[in-house]
Amino acid sequence: MAKPRDKNDSSDTKLDDISSRLKDLGSRIEAEKSEQRAVEKPSTKYQGASDYSKGYRLASEFVAGVLVGGLVGFGLDKLFGTLPLFLIVFLLLGFGAGILNMSRSANRNPPTAEELRNIPKPDDDEDEDK
Amino acid sequence: MANDPIHQFRLHDLAGPVNIAGYEISFTNSALFMGIIVVTITGILLLAARKGALVPGRLQSVGEMWYGLVDNMVKNVLGEEGKAFFPLVFSLFSFVLVANMIGMFPYFFTVTSHVIVTVSLALFVVCLVVVVGITKHGLGWFKLFVPHGVPLAILPVISIIEIISFLSRPISLGLRLFGNMLAGHIVLKVFAGFVVSLGALGGIGILGAIAPMFMAVALTALEFLVAFLQAFVFAILTCVYLNDALHPSH
Repeated sequence: MAKPRDKNDSSDTKLDDISSRLKDLGSRIEAEKSEQRAVEKPSTKYQGASDYSKGYRLASEFVAGVLVGGLVGFGLDKLFGTLPLFLIVFLLLGFGAGILNMSRSANRNPPTAEELRNIPKPDDDEDEDK
Repeated sequence: MANDPIHQFRLHDLAGPVNIAGYEISFTNSALFMGIIVVTITGILLLAARKGALVPGRLQSVGEMWYGLVDNMVKNVLGEEGKAFFPLVFSLFSFVLVANMIGMFPYFFTVTSHVIVTVSLALFVVCLVVVVGITKHGLGWFKLFVPHGVPLAILPVISIIEIISFLSRPISLGLRLFGNMLAGHIVLKVFAGFVVSLGALGGIGILGAIAPMFMAVALTALEFLVAFLQAFVFAILTCVYLNDALHPSH
């Protein structure tokens, strides 16, 4: 009984050694990967590509908001025959939508896969506000 | 006229006017170039994939980078469940990219410089977002227009603004691509026109033509960058909008 046990012990220590080395290797690979990811990250973001395109993007977002607002208002006016009323109201709302578009696209980074997996629940927002 | 900067955008029938049920569906130079674009994409990718070597050659690594770029983008923005949209995003990206690049050849027609083409593509994307959103989340998808934690009193106004903001997406997506291509090509043509008309004066005119000549060369480089960038932005915004369909809470 004692002999096999001895054998077992020695193999156990060997196994421990191997498993600890495996763990070590695993953590080293993980570190290497995360480093690579950090290096690769900027290339997948379209934000830093060119200031010219950034400016153009914001301008077109804003113009599109106002344009669509005006179009919706004009359509409603045509429908109900109240020409200036809805056009004015929806132009102003379209202005708001344009600003909203702009602020959203200015703050928008494409979310990474990890961020997508743990999107905060809507309830979390209120806690952050406080 | 060779000097008219707008002339390059003119549509003309190649096979005589064809009318069906009151609609004109003639085969124009725009349609011809769309055909050329599709053939070019298919040809390049088929040639790139033909060998399938373990160590890629030049053409194969172009194909692999092309695929990898879109694959990365879809994975980063949409996650694993966005895989289903990869073919769509890849097709859109390739079409816009090759359309912009083919437009850079002198005397070629730029398909994406017509607002009807770009807005049609954008409208298709946004309609798809609505359809996917409703099939995935049912009527709950409309919560996208009702932001969380807004006081009830101003909720109707905010909802209308959110709806207008959503409706403006195809306009901004399409107008951006159209505007960039149109403006770029006109500016290029105007500077090239300066070179020609100043050079025709002779003497000092040829000296004066040097500056716009350098400008035209620099702008050509910029246009290549813009052509790629706009295709990329179009594709990534498609992904971002599709993300709204998959995960409506924002």
